[in-house]
Amino acid sequence: MSEIAAKSATGADKKPRKGRGAAALDKFHEEASLGESYDSRMLLRLWPFLRPHGGSMAASFLFLLLGSALALAKPLVMSGALDAIKAPGGEAALTRSGVILACLLVVEQVIAFPQMYLMQLAGARAMSDLRLHVFKFLHTRKLGFFDKTPVGRLVTRVTNDVDAINEMFASGALNAFGDLIRLLGIVVVMLSLDWQLSLIAFAAVPPVAIGVNWTRRRIRDAFREIRVKTARMNTYLNEQISGMAVVQAYAREEESAEEFNAINAAYRAANNRSIVYDSALDAAIEMVSRVCLALILWFAGVRTTTVTFGTLFAFVWYIDMFFGPIRDLSARYTLLQSAMAGAERVFELLDNKDEDAAGAKGAEDAAAAAKTAKAAGAPERAADASVPAFEMQHVVFEYKPDVPVLRDVTFAADAGEKIAIVGATGAGKSTVTAVLLRLYEIKSGAVKVFGKDVRELPRSELRSKFAVVPQDVFLFPGTVASNIAAGDAEPDMEKVTRALRRIDALDLFERREGGVLAPVLERGANFSAGERQLIAFARALYRDPPILILDEATANVDSDTEARLQRALDGAMKNRTALVIAHRLSTIRAADRIVVFHRGRVVEQGTHEALLALEGVYARLHKLQFSRTAAPPSSQTSAA
Amino acid sequence: MGIKDANAAGAAPVQYPIGLWDQFRKNLPLYAGGALLLIVQQSLMAYGDLRVRVATNSIVKGDRATAVTAAATFLGVSITAAIVRWGSRITMFTGGRNVEYELRAGLLARLHTLGGSFFRKMPTGEIMSRATNDLTQVRLLLGFGILNVIGSVAALVSALYVMGTVSGRLTLAALVTMPLLMIVTRSFSTKMFQRTRENQEAIGKMSDRVLASLAGVRVVRSFALEDAEIATFSSANAQYLEKGLSLARLRGSMGPLMGAISSVGILVVVWYGGYLIHGDQISPGDFVSFFMALLRLTWPLLALGFVASIIQRGRAAYSRLQQIYDAVPDIVDGPLPAPASVRGALRVSHLSFAHGKRTVVDDVSFEVPAGGSLAIVGRTGSGKSTIAMLLARLYPTPDDSVFLDGADICALPLRTVRASIGYAQQDAFLFSTTVARNVGYALEDADSPDAMDHVRRAAEEASVLEEVEGLPDGFDTVVGERGVQLSGGQRQRVALARALLREPPVLVLDDPLSAVDAKTEAAILEAIDRQAEDRTMLLITHRVAAARRCDRVVVLDGGRVVEQGTHDELVKNGGLYASFAEEQQIEQDLEALGAMDFAPDSSSVPLVTEGAA
Repeated sequence: MSEIAAKSATGADKKPRKGRGAAALDKFHEEASLGESYDSRMLLRLWPFLRPHGGSMAASFLFLLLGSALALAKPLVMSGALDAIKAPGGEAALTRSGVILACLLVVEQVIAFPQMYLMQLAGARAMSDLRLHVFKFLHTRKLGFFDKTPVGRLVTRVTNDVDAINEMFASGALNAFGDLIRLLGIVVVMLSLDWQLSLIAFAAVPPVAIGVNWTRRRIRDAFREIRVKTARMNTYLNEQISGMAVVQAYAREEESAEEFNAINAAYRAANNRSIVYDSALDAAIEMVSRVCLALILWFAGVRTTTVTFGTLFAFVWYIDMFFGPIRDLSARYTLLQSAMAGAERVFELLDNKDEDAAGAKGAEDAAAAAKTAKAAGAPERAADASVPAFEMQHVVFEYKPDVPVLRDVTFAADAGEKIAIVGATGAGKSTVTAVLLRLYEIKSGAVKVFGKDVRELPRSELRSKFAVVPQDVFLFPGTVASNIAAGDAEPDMEKVTRALRRIDALDLFERREGGVLAPVLERGANFSAGERQLIAFARALYRDPPILILDEATANVDSDTEARLQRALDGAMKNRTALVIAHRLSTIRAADRIVVFHRGRVVEQGTHEALLALEGVYARLHKLQFSRTAAPPSSQTSAA
Repeated sequence: MGIKDANAAGAAPVQYPIGLWDQFRKNLPLYAGGALLLIVQQSLMAYGDLRVRVATNSIVKGDRATAVTAAATFLGVSITAAIVRWGSRITMFTGGRNVEYELRAGLLARLHTLGGSFFRKMPTGEIMSRATNDLTQVRLLLGFGILNVIGSVAALVSALYVMGTVSGRLTLAALVTMPLLMIVTRSFSTKMFQRTRENQEAIGKMSDRVLASLAGVRVVRSFALEDAEIATFSSANAQYLEKGLSLARLRGSMGPLMGAISSVGILVVVWYGGYLIHGDQISPGDFVSFFMALLRLTWPLLALGFVASIIQRGRAAYSRLQQIYDAVPDIVDGPLPAPASVRGALRVSHLSFAHGKRTVVDDVSFEVPAGGSLAIVGRTGSGKSTIAMLLARLYPTPDDSVFLDGADICALPLRTVRASIGYAQQDAFLFSTTVARNVGYALEDADSPDAMDHVRRAAEEASVLEEVEGLPDGFDTVVGERGVQLSGGQRQRVALARALLREPPVLVLDDPLSAVDAKTEAAILEAIDRQAEDRTMLLITHRVAAARRCDRVVVLDGGRVVEQGTHDELVKNGGLYASFAEEQQIEQDLEALGAMDFAPDSSSVPLVTEGAA
């Protein structure tokens, strides 16, 4: 790391960025430079994913060895024939060798395909497994994890980073390990052919190897610098484009161009440095086989024992073979590096400990049981009416330590009852949903659904009892129908239509091109807030759960849609327990009971009339919203 | 800023040639030098091969002295060739990098002249992909591509010369499979390109799926959709695997097929060559040097195969870049000279503007005298932000509709307009640099000693000074993506400070209160009051509390002016503005109520317990 720091310091000298803040800025940009990423531990961690496909890999390695052996035999065969060529029967020997050589070539190429393909197959399948594993892993994280991690970064982990690992298999970079054995074989054969000549030939290797290694280290440093400079340049360019209005409004075009020029030039300089080393490496590797050959020829001339033509020819061929893999080495090394860097990022994510507490132990079995129960219908609705549909007992909850959002909250809803929660902004109303569905863990107290503590229920069983219509509706890419039937691979069109009809919105969607099969773009950008809300309502009804939660569900809709929804709400809530969380009192008239929240506590509950008579918080809320104007305030909701 | 690079000293980026051919000509010395070096290198290679012939023959004959001399010459020639090769690559690649550098600089220079309408048509990601991927392709064309064309031809000539010198018939025999090799390479690289693209599409689909699933994680959790999501992902994953394996099959079969073809060539040479030696038609030395030349021939032939696709892709990439280079700036300087001073009287008359067919601003007229203040109030989407952008000429403002001190702003120099009408946008865009540099964005020399005083004063005025000083590195804290995350309210006030520091004759603030709490709001409103004393002030807002401080208020709805007057007049009118006032009062009271303390045990408000279980 200190080496990198030193490098970056010299890099910083190039641009005369003086004055305050410069050091902080440079530190900020240099943070992007990664440390040494190659790590054998990464390979070890990859192993569990590779093991199921170990057979393919082993077979591939076997073919690799076999191919190497065949390749080694080729010059030997020819060398014998060439030596015998001047002897009597030389022509026959040549023909015989030709046939053998042809056979060797055919087999060598025939096994080359399965060798490559099996390796790629194993790699691609293992990485497909890894991707699925990461994806599943993400869905077991706590919700808070997503609040603090940018989604884009997580997507990169699942796609690009895993792909970088895969490239190691796909490019044949792993064949480098097989190549090592091949190199060893070449050395052995050459030594057995003529050990003196071989030693002379290899005399050129150590100095070249040292040179190559030195150059490669320079290249690695240069690459690291390039990566930092590339990131810097792309960030700057990206910022210029997305902040173009600011640049233009402040007339900073020329200054920006100058600044960018410095970054662009630094990028070019870093690349030019790498070109020098890169080209040197290329030329050196190109040269070394010829230098070896020159040494052999020289030695053959000097030595007293003669070298046969066949041996000489075999050496020419072997030397070419020897340096082939070495030529690929630097490219393969780069690939391995980026694969290891990818693996490092993926496993760093997999090391995350924010696991969402599952239900009780054996949640898997319970989840399966819950599925069958769900398939059999929802018996809870008809269940013993004496058990409350849900209840909260002395619940304390906080997102951040020591900042309680719910303080000792106790209330309950009987099966079939319509409960409304009201209160000013920040009273903790919406947190109730998160706690009921166990999206977050409570600090103390108990939350029970149909008599069972939520901590003892498997998550999927617990959540199958609810349908939530939130204020900000999220739509998945797909169709209107697939969004309504979220969770079903094939939407039940009958049920989709029924759900839409119940909220009186069928005609609205059928009027669109494509009807209920109209495509939904990313985040539902092609639907208005009101339409998205209607889809969310339909989604809830499609699910037909025992408990319906409307969390500020009408806050974003315009007055036309709100009127439409108000009519639909009564129908939707019929025959089920409902919890309506509302900022505006106009939406809660149908409630059997109203629970008033204030600063995380329940301060009042009762019917509308009883609470008004109480002249407490609810009465004041009501007065604020209704006394001021004769017209109902709902007609002017979208001002904010 | 004082940041200038030696490379940039010659010409401004605006003057860099952006034509492919112009760039080639500009770097011609490099390319010509590189070509010369390549020819020298290949001549040396050929000479070396022929030295090997002499050496081998001498060894076989037992003429040791000649063998040693020839071997030594070969060694020298090989080392020289390597050095020349090194030089040729450096020159050629440097040419490619120079082209990339100038084209990139030219790209940003061009983007700086383009207005909002261009950026609406071409999203940031699209431009970035052109500035990175496409530019890389062009660089490959004018570096690696040229190197390979010249290098391959030179290598071909050099190898064929050696082979021809040895034996014409053997050369013909060796070349039998070469056309096949080239054809196969070409067809493979076409297929490879196509399958790679399919592969990219599959990963794109998969990553969209992951994005949706994670962005909608709350819904996924609430509805227990995990299993369904995993199933959907699995199928996208499987499709990607399938595409990947189809690419693997191609990659896997390419090597063996090429290997087989070149093996046949070698087999023919070895067999027929052996036969020729046997018949004493060629010497062993001939054979060895021929074989060496043959091994040298394989690479240039392969390279010629894929160089075609490099050229093709490079040209396609350049044509995508051209869409940016050729875009015509729709916002340009007017003919009038810059006025000596600007008082700041602003008149808007019959201003209309449309994005495509959608009219956003419809026949809007108002006037603000120099030093006066005006609020533009309306709902989201009523067109108020568009008006602000039009005033600063960030969108193509129509002629004869906006007048500064009586002069049409379209007739004034662009710099004058933007320096006189300071515009602070709604979404506070900060650059990923320090807080000080963000606030001092408009300063000519951000590093001068009194620059910091300006920055501090502006920060204080925007009531963000205390918070900035509380940051880990104070004003030197780096904001932005990976830096310390400022809160939304802090960002907005830093952006406000940036606008205030400029002290323009006309200040246009677009919704400066959208992300701040009540206490900060009060402080900002006071700052706005102070600012309004010194200059013409235009406040774009939906907050009545802010609008009431201005001399006059214009109310917009659907792009049209529906009401105009003072705050008091408009409240009395009982129109749209009055209903905003009403609504916001309720919100404010609700908030006040939320902040009050009602404990459940408080005697003033008894808790009703009848409904509790």
